[in-house]
Amino acid sequence: MMEKMIFGRFIPGDSFVHQLDPRSKLIFTFIFVVIVFLANNVATYGLLLIFTLFVILISRIRLYFLINGLKPVIILVIFTFLIHILFTREGDVLLNLGFLEVYEGGLRQGIFISIRFVVLVFVTTILTLTTSPISITDGLEVLLNPLKKFKLPIHELALMMSIALRFIPTLMDETDKIMKAQMARGSDLGAGPIKDRIKAVVPLLVPLFVSAFKRAEDLATAMEVRGYRGGEGRTRYRQLKWDAKDTTCIFALVLMTALLVFFRS
Amino acid sequence: MKTKFMAMAAIIAALYIAVTYTLSFLSFGDIQFRIAEIFNHLIAFNPRYMLGVVLGVFISNLFSPLGWFDLVFGVAHSVICLTILIIVSKYVKNIAYRMLINSFVFTFMMWIIALELKLALELPFWLSWLTTAIGEAVVLLIGIPIMQLLDKRLNFKNLIDQ
Repeated sequence: MMEKMIFGRFIPGDSFVHQLDPRSKLIFTFIFVVIVFLANNVATYGLLLIFTLFVILISRIRLYFLINGLKPVIILVIFTFLIHILFTREGDVLLNLGFLEVYEGGLRQGIFISIRFVVLVFVTTILTLTTSPISITDGLEVLLNPLKKFKLPIHELALMMSIALRFIPTLMDETDKIMKAQMARGSDLGAGPIKDRIKAVVPLLVPLFVSAFKRAEDLATAMEVRGYRGGEGRTRYRQLKWDAKDTTCIFALVLMTALLVFFRS
Repeated sequence: MKTKFMAMAAIIAALYIAVTYTLSFLSFGDIQFRIAEIFNHLIAFNPRYMLGVVLGVFISNLFSPLGWFDLVFGVAHSVICLTILIIVSKYVKNIAYRMLINSFVFTFMMWIIALELKLALELPFWLSWLTTAIGEAVVLLIGIPIMQLLDKRLNFKNLIDQ
């Protein structure tokens, strides 16, 4: 069961992408998600594909992991492709089956949107594959720091995020254990009419909630005992460092944006 | 922010994600029953659950393969719906009614997700709204009796305040 639960799916490594500062990767992904929408013809979508393949190549992530990231959304990709093929009526008719006509424009649109979708999924998956959840949190905290001016408790939010990330695997194990314990007592989770299944969920969630809240209480006590009193003057164990690689990465993105703007119709 | 409240919110977020990933097998026929969605009903018991639930939505979307659209639209959807619930809760005291209203608000507000799909994938807006809304309504309505059964044992209102 554990292999299904790799949350965040971070794969350690020391490729160019792994070595980047989480801040540059976050900025990169964020902007990339926006510039994908600049593409609107064969040349620009081609550029996007080549660029993405290049990023995959230098991240040295095995294709297997990327395909895995695509799995949960593959139905949506196919659905999107079909919707565009069936409902876009532009250009010449390519295929006529009487009840069904496929237009040239529809096919093109379907392929374009699918490329956009896949490229988006790949780039965001690469971010989570090459950056540990805890560095993502660190990066987010620093990037969102300016929002402190608006009285947003950025430090507290980042700390809560770290705590949550720390406890996800623990609580998953816990869920698994409780599930097995209830099954050993004869509870049947996946069968029967809806009413029975709803009832079967309750003995699962009650102990889970109780133990989770117990953990939260212990954690709060532990934090207070160790003298936690907010972000003011707190030093960091993990330091973020921005170097030439990060500047290169942002520069490549700017170049890509310029190319997309130039070649789009 | 008090340390205890922070720890509680963080653990609720972690629980939200753990439940999303581990109990995904509980499906009723064709409808995937995302059981973690029923956490949205927690706010009907006590508004202090909101931070934890929103944080859970944020983190799970941060790692979702669809990327940051889900982050912006998903979090916006939760924040708007839960804020509406908190405002409504001032006038509606019956918790079952609150959960019913919550289910309705979440279902109706799925247009935000439909808009996301329209912008990102150019899917037809009305069709996406219909399909996503049906899924949401089923999950949240089934969630009401579950939450009531859980509340009998756990007393959600005071669990977070004690």
